[in-house]
Amino acid sequence: MSFKKLPTGVQDILPRECRVLWSVRDRLTRAFEARGYEPVLSAAVEYYDTYANIRNALPQERMFKFTDSDGRLLVLRPDATLSISRIAATKLPEGQARLYYFLDKWDAQSAGGNKTREIIQAGVERLGEEGAFSDAQTLAFAIDCMHEMGLSDCILDVGHVGFMKGLLEECGLSDAEAEEVRASLNAKDGFNAERLLRRAGAKEETLAAVRALPTLFGGAEVFARAGKLTKNARALAAVAHLERVHRILAEMGYERSVCFDLGTGKSLSYYSGIVFSGLVREVGAPVLSGGRYDDLADDFGKHIPAVGFAIGLKRVLVALERQGNLPAQPVFDAAISCEEGAEGRADALAKQLIAKGLRVTLAAQYGKDVLEKTNAREKWFVTKTGEVRI
Amino acid sequence: MINFALPKGRLAEKSAELLRTCGVDTSVLEEDTRKLVLESADRRYGFFLVKPADVPAYVEAGVADLGIVGKDTLIEEGRDLYEMLDLKMGECRLSIAGYPERRDVLTNPHLRVATKYVNTARRVFADREEIEIIPLHGSIELAPVTGLADVIFDVVQTGSTLKANGLVVLEDVYTGITARLVANKVSLKTKAEEVLPLIEKLREAVS
Repeated sequence: MSFKKLPTGVQDILPRECRVLWSVRDRLTRAFEARGYEPVLSAAVEYYDTYANIRNALPQERMFKFTDSDGRLLVLRPDATLSISRIAATKLPEGQARLYYFLDKWDAQSAGGNKTREIIQAGVERLGEEGAFSDAQTLAFAIDCMHEMGLSDCILDVGHVGFMKGLLEECGLSDAEAEEVRASLNAKDGFNAERLLRRAGAKEETLAAVRALPTLFGGAEVFARAGKLTKNARALAAVAHLERVHRILAEMGYERSVCFDLGTGKSLSYYSGIVFSGLVREVGAPVLSGGRYDDLADDFGKHIPAVGFAIGLKRVLVALERQGNLPAQPVFDAAISCEEGAEGRADALAKQLIAKGLRVTLAAQYGKDVLEKTNAREKWFVTKTGEVRI
Repeated sequence: MINFALPKGRLAEKSAELLRTCGVDTSVLEEDTRKLVLESADRRYGFFLVKPADVPAYVEAGVADLGIVGKDTLIEEGRDLYEMLDLKMGECRLSIAGYPERRDVLTNPHLRVATKYVNTARRVFADREEIEIIPLHGSIELAPVTGLADVIFDVVQTGSTLKANGLVVLEDVYTGITARLVANKVSLKTKAEEVLPLIEKLREAVS
């Protein structure tokens, strides 16, 4: 085994790719700041118990663990949103904030295909806000961010966990059973979901609704179909909420960028309202993912309704490349070389040009010939007595 | 263009036939060729011919938009994709099999299980015996016969191979294992206008 190599599922990012990543980051920062979000960073290392003993406990096999000098178990940040919920509940007394972050998270298990173990993310959280307008703004901003990064033909796929929660709450399932049904429905495997529900003694009406769930996606027409499937108050409230969100999005001119899927079964205990994924056809997994998680901060001692999303920046890079939307790699504007004894003049010249906004390199060696190796637009050679332009 | 990941082997011909009845030009699949990437004459469909166990990987990554694969493989691979339809073909079950007179081995404190379905076996036995899994790639029935394992965990279609080797099904773990139409989670939404009509046709064809 070579220790010059990296473990599975993590990657170095080399200059060419890193420059694209940073330019995407710059564009996002501008977009976040323009909408009044404030930056935040959470510590990369936290206590294992912070995440092992909460209602939304993270599976221990997914956390990177190590021990502190006093023997306590530590983890590498396993989830940015949970970290920020912890910060909001324990350190932001006003309980209301619009935050943005560039944070990596680590998932010890996921690797291969579209998944890496070190996940480079950007994201926003709107803390202390409720209602359809807040949700719609978040969705619209998610679409804006995808465009801002240079992606074209983006779709935001929107669902609401309340619909599935409502259907399932009538069946008297245990948490484990509900989770199994959710996982089946999330895979659009209505067959298995029906089998599980039948075993639990679900009513025929519920079974009919669950059977239809995997096909309940498309445009705004799904709301009418969904409304006819159930009389459950919670499920109907979810549909009504999505209709309101849809109306606001149409009002703001985003209708063409959204589609709806009431069969989306993201974690029912983590999410409490709308859920959504940002999709581009060039990448087989979402580039953006988010939702409403009003109860998340409860575990850290404070109820803070919240909605937000995270962007998987590595997937965005793949999408940009496949769409042919990579930003151009900048070349240097000027290269300077000098003869021995003219270092001061050469450096002064470099500073002069940089002050004018140019990107300038100063060669590490003396001599005219080193300039031949640069791809800068302008090449300068400085002698002891003055400047020579080449 | 819709890209399909299709399984070589047992399900290959039936898959092509089903697609043909739904108006997909599959004539390119009948040609005798060693090419693994094929394109229909009208350029509307691409076909990747892969090992059945590899279909989920292609579809999850979005390299293929749709795929046809056995439920047994889906359970084993546990990939993040949509299972759109039960194609109701190639029906079999996933069962534990062994010698009829040695049924008691199932309660052995240390059970040796030979299987192709390593992940599934680990899950199935997780709450039961402590087991030793012996991963094999074919002729699983040979394992108990030669004493390599106590039981096997495998797909059973007619049971004739088991019978020929003096083995019987000791327990059916999953029944109703059939071929499924799977879809990439992104393609279903981003290529909806191409993918959905075809899924509807397939739904009608199998119901």
